[in-house]
Amino acid sequence: MFEILRSMISKVSALYADVRYEIMRETKIAFNGRELFHIGSNSTDGFVVRVLREGGLSSVSFTRQEDAGSAVRTAEENASLIARHIKKPVEFAKTDVIKNTFLPVLAEDPRNVPVDEKLRLTKTYNDIPLKYDGIATTNIHYSDVVREKYFVSSEGAEIREDLVTAALGGLITSREGSLTQNVRVGLGGSGGFALLRNQEEEFEKRTATALDLLDAAPVSGGTFNVVLNQDLSGVFTHEAFGHFSEADLIEDSPTMRERMQTGAALGNEVLSITDDPTMPGQLGFYCCDDEGVKARPVRLMKHGILTGRLHSRRTAAAFGEAVTGHCVAEDYRYAPIVRMGNIFIEPGKNSLDELLSLLGNGLYILDSKGGQTSGENFTFGAQYGYIVKGGKKGLMVRDINISGNLYHTLKNITAAGNDLVLGKTGGCGKGQLNIRSCHGGPHILVRDVVIGGV
Amino acid sequence: MEQLLEMARKVCDRAEIFSADSRGDGVSFENACMKDIDSSMQSGVCLRIIKDDILGFAYTRNLTDRATLIQNAADSLRGGVDGAFDFPFTKELPDLDTYDPSMETLPNSAMVEECGRVCEILSHKTKGQINASAHRSTGRIRIINTSGTDLSLKSSAFYLGTDIVYPYTSASLHRTLVSKRFENAGGEYLDFLADTYEQSMQEVQPASEKLKVLFLPETLYVFLWRLQSAANGQSIYQKISPVAGRLGEEIFDSSISIYNDPLNDSLPGARTFDDEGTPCTRFPIIERGVLKNFYYDLYFARKLKASPTGHGFKGSISGKPVPSLNRLTMMPGDESFAGLIQSMDRGIVVAGALGGHSGNIPNGDFSIGVSPALYVERGQITGYAKDVMVAGNIYDILKRAAGLEDTLHPCFGGTLPAVLFDNINVTLKK
Repeated sequence: MFEILRSMISKVSALYADVRYEIMRETKIAFNGRELFHIGSNSTDGFVVRVLREGGLSSVSFTRQEDAGSAVRTAEENASLIARHIKKPVEFAKTDVIKNTFLPVLAEDPRNVPVDEKLRLTKTYNDIPLKYDGIATTNIHYSDVVREKYFVSSEGAEIREDLVTAALGGLITSREGSLTQNVRVGLGGSGGFALLRNQEEEFEKRTATALDLLDAAPVSGGTFNVVLNQDLSGVFTHEAFGHFSEADLIEDSPTMRERMQTGAALGNEVLSITDDPTMPGQLGFYCCDDEGVKARPVRLMKHGILTGRLHSRRTAAAFGEAVTGHCVAEDYRYAPIVRMGNIFIEPGKNSLDELLSLLGNGLYILDSKGGQTSGENFTFGAQYGYIVKGGKKGLMVRDINISGNLYHTLKNITAAGNDLVLGKTGGCGKGQLNIRSCHGGPHILVRDVVIGGV
Repeated sequence: MEQLLEMARKVCDRAEIFSADSRGDGVSFENACMKDIDSSMQSGVCLRIIKDDILGFAYTRNLTDRATLIQNAADSLRGGVDGAFDFPFTKELPDLDTYDPSMETLPNSAMVEECGRVCEILSHKTKGQINASAHRSTGRIRIINTSGTDLSLKSSAFYLGTDIVYPYTSASLHRTLVSKRFENAGGEYLDFLADTYEQSMQEVQPASEKLKVLFLPETLYVFLWRLQSAANGQSIYQKISPVAGRLGEEIFDSSISIYNDPLNDSLPGARTFDDEGTPCTRFPIIERGVLKNFYYDLYFARKLKASPTGHGFKGSISGKPVPSLNRLTMMPGDESFAGLIQSMDRGIVVAGALGGHSGNIPNGDFSIGVSPALYVERGQITGYAKDVMVAGNIYDILKRAAGLEDTLHPCFGGTLPAVLFDNINVTLKK
């Protein structure tokens, strides 16, 4: 394959070119309630070529090998067109030229597990909530995705890396009268099929939460002090802070670059944040990004001070900073963009009980229901929560959405727990879906959070 | 494809092949400067087979190995997915104007020049950061099945999106121009962005209370998402729709009428058939506040013993058709945008919604961060507010529509007017 790829970019008349080829094999199983809705295994493939010419960088994705010549010509023309109009020519920061193969270490390779066994396991978990009267339905999915990636650059890089992701989860929906509630469940990661086994207790626990929510009161809107659990502190870190650490999102915003300067005191001193794609076994693990740059951990914030950001080769040059290996594509349909790997708030010193005592009166909020950011503003949903009075957990509340301002919230995180947990399922939809985007953190105490009631 | 269908026919009772080819080019400007040009040439083939009323499914990007594709579909039969439905025989559909051949040869330099022109004009009208992007695409889909259907469609589309970004954030005012062919942005498009931005530049800090709230067309998807969930045949079948059994009831204000209108070929994306070959129609969901219909694909129509409604669409080549409303339109009202603003004593304009995808969608609940939230006092936009949340339930709020704009805007979610609501819970940080 490397020879075919080398041949594709050999005739490019440009400063730099690279091409990535991927074979993606997927097995998917889906239950809607008791009914099997989908099962199947498929394989697809495709290419992405990039050309950096005269300061213009352009990419073309294509699925037919016979289109390679046309794709390269289009990329060259586009790059030249950009070069004629761009004010600051694109440069690539220097990186080591890597020639290597990286294959994952797996506890049970899902490719070796028969589809019938995958179906049996999915059905076993799907049947757990459905045995309860208050459960209206489920939408439970199994998927394994194997990406076999080949990368060649005009600088001489030749990299094969395989990424294997297995996931099993979905929605458990409860209903009583006109009230419908749902709870997400998610298992899996990059470590192999074994991560999905023996997880009945997790499905039982989530089912119990879905049923309990039918008796919970809707939360009242207002401003509250809150303790967020690990999943939510991870979502906050990803949505509110992490995206601003992605250099491509602020590269062309003078006001954001002014605000996000390295050395700026943006957070409370209890707050330290790292992104590390090299953590073995975690969902966001990889060795090299889709520009052929070796991934490395980046300390983004240390005791409230901004200390780093995530880069592509382009943004590293634009900011005059070192490459970090965070330029990743969803698959063969896309050029890579700057993405988080495993981002997390570093653990502090408090137990959960101590954080609830420090909270006194407020809300203890658990588990994410999706989030979104728009610059300094963020919003994310929570699956459920509890009213806390005098440091004691009380009544359950539902329908919780949190909104806030990044800078205020970074200052208002006043304590971090000692119980770091990274997510088993992630995902980020920044233009492309990254199913291996992983986030986490310890419990955190946050002052003055806006909660939108229903 | 004919050869593939013949091969598939030998291993099953019924078969369907869906193929798609597309070409797209995108140009982006950030902070009024040239940024990127990216192109894409994608293809794909999807095969569904039915044997003994069991459904098999497979797809590929390159049809180089027909036998493997058929084997993958045959392998999936072992799972036992219900396939007790027939693929339709569809012919003699109305002609729609969905394709402009000039889009095949449109040079990317034309999109670069138009983005540059938009940035240049707006730079003279406002100090806000201007981002602009243009995208053109052409595509062809074809569906053939063993019932005798052979349908194909060529399409073209052009989008021009412009944002003026508020400082120290990525919250922005946004507007999209949508066409089947290349077009220049007009004065009204540019003036709306520049004028509204200039009026709202000052940060203000209003108090929490119940206010009038004007949703811009770009943010109405928050409501429509929940309505689509409720009227979806899958939700009806799974018994999680809050409006099951309420057909014919007035569930929204009588000023609200919502249709799925795939036959309207004035904009890109018009269709006479869905991705299963079922004919499409102009389809009322809500008519003068009354719930008129639920929508189905072949699978859920069969499950519910209903007729398919032409709403089986695939999200991608790798996905199965599922019930989808992809051409929603809301009937306009009789008030200008300026008139709606003037009718607000105090209120919020929702110019961007955060978190529309979270919260209890099946129940109709929403709780969104508003970014940007434009503040209106005595009939004028006077600034923007931070840390604003708007929350409610669509079966409550859509009974309280206080005015609809007289103009429809193509945007994410459909072709929609701005809609004013009365007495909405607005939460602002103390």
